[in-house]
Amino acid sequence: MTVADMTINSAPRVAARKTRQRSRLPWLMSPALIFVIACLLFPLAMMLRYSLNHYDPAELMVSALTAENYLKFFSDSFYQEVLWRTVGISVLSTVICLVAGVPVAYFLARYTSALYKRVLLLLILVPLLIGNVVRTSAWMLILNDTGVLAAFLGLFGYTGRLNLMYTSTGVVIGLVSVLLPFMVITLNSVFEAIDHNLEDAASSLGAGHLTIMRQVVLPLALPGILAGSVLCLILAMNAYATPVLIGGPTFNMMAPIVYQQIAKAMNWPFGAALAFVLMAATLVMTIGVSAVVQNKYRKWSE
Amino acid sequence: MHANDRGDPVRLAYTTISMTVIGFIVLPLVFIIWMSFFSNKILSFPPEGYTLEWYARAWDLADFRDGFFLSMRMSLISTAISLVLGLPASFALARGRFPGRDAINTILMSPLMVPGIVSGGALFVFFLEIEFLTDVIIAGSSLGLIIAYSLIGLPWMVRLVTTSLIGVNPSIEEAARSLGAGPLTVFFRITLPVIKPGLIAGSLFAFVNAFIDLEKSLFLVGPDHTTLQIALLNYLEWTFDSTIGAVATVQIALVAALLIITDHYVKLSRAF
Repeated sequence: MTVADMTINSAPRVAARKTRQRSRLPWLMSPALIFVIACLLFPLAMMLRYSLNHYDPAELMVSALTAENYLKFFSDSFYQEVLWRTVGISVLSTVICLVAGVPVAYFLARYTSALYKRVLLLLILVPLLIGNVVRTSAWMLILNDTGVLAAFLGLFGYTGRLNLMYTSTGVVIGLVSVLLPFMVITLNSVFEAIDHNLEDAASSLGAGHLTIMRQVVLPLALPGILAGSVLCLILAMNAYATPVLIGGPTFNMMAPIVYQQIAKAMNWPFGAALAFVLMAATLVMTIGVSAVVQNKYRKWSE
Repeated sequence: MHANDRGDPVRLAYTTISMTVIGFIVLPLVFIIWMSFFSNKILSFPPEGYTLEWYARAWDLADFRDGFFLSMRMSLISTAISLVLGLPASFALARGRFPGRDAINTILMSPLMVPGIVSGGALFVFFLEIEFLTDVIIAGSSLGLIIAYSLIGLPWMVRLVTTSLIGVNPSIEEAARSLGAGPLTVFFRITLPVIKPGLIAGSLFAFVNAFIDLEKSLFLVGPDHTTLQIALLNYLEWTFDSTIGAVATVQIALVAALLIITDHYVKLSRAF
């Protein structure tokens, strides 16, 4: 049999095998799918159900169908304050990240050579995966009253107290350093995709740099600005290490009190309700940011 | 146009702002590495002298040493599990055109989207309920950590391997098969070399993200069963000395080395 015969004969078989394999493909992902459903989505659904149960100090959790845990959250000024503090700190950190992230991302996209950019990106990305405990401990070293910043200011004769540890300013500083790398890489990939001929064209028509940024670059980068802001908001809303270590035990944000209620107080119904209030608040803010950005986009495109 | 114009004031402004911001991101790590070598018993700047004593002390503290090895073990096992689960799933996602493909992709990515503190709490409650029913201890044992870390690794694995698989033309595999190569030969000689960068990047990301996990671990560690991040957190609640610097330096070196290796295979900025 010649090679040509073989090819001709095997063609229908190859096609048949191809269809058979295609139809078998979905089965390949069932182990991963079952794993995620059984070990993440089911536990989440269970916790959502538990948030409607009743908590009894003696029996812990009593099966019920009540909104009392959510009502407790919205009627207690302590928890209201925790939620608003979390929201306020998250929004502030995200705005700072946006303002500081745009120039860096633009610089990386437009003013750096390939090697230089690779090195700078590594410098930005390594801290991102260093772990929040280690990064926050580094900020404790800086913000402490006997730390780096105090010693540095001491060189200029400032000997007063810094008062940055255990304050919201300290927490925002810590959070911004956690979130900035995410903002920079998200924005950078969008700036990279914008054709710089557009900027050159605007420039040759006499537009100054700030005008070009405002009228050309930023409107085109809006999807990235949206994605980066949403990412920062989600991470800030759910931050644990920064509020616990820099904020201290009296600085309450949502994530630490979720942990406290579920694992320490063993009040699962209320802890579960807190977790879902946190998720819902994050979702509402995400939708809010999208609406603001889209509104802006409409105005810009008119 | 910009790149050639070194005296451009706009360029100068961008360089200044960017270096300041990058300094803000990087300098804290520089300081904590520096601090790990201070000889002072009580932390002060500038240091009185330098020593390696803190590294020895960190090694002597059972919490840190055991925590390091536990984190290593748990992260390695979980990376292997996310590989075993993620590789076939990536094939299906990259090659298959079937109804519900996008929904399935969303489900596989969901561990990345659910905040760690929420999924950690859900796992904790779920594992304790299983324990009440069957007396099998999951929360506070290796099993719980392995499940949690496999959830962390899976989306990274699927995302990075799927991206690299889209680059493989299936007709090359068909050609090899029609020339008589068995399925294993096709996989090892054709598919594997092409998706190797994605596999390496996926594995390293799965490993690093499991190793540095805090929120899920918080719920799932137990007595004599504490990961490095939790050991660090517990230590920081009471003490702040250069031992922290020593452990942090080791962790920074480990992560930096793994990321530089990853960057060699897949552009890091594309991984996110």
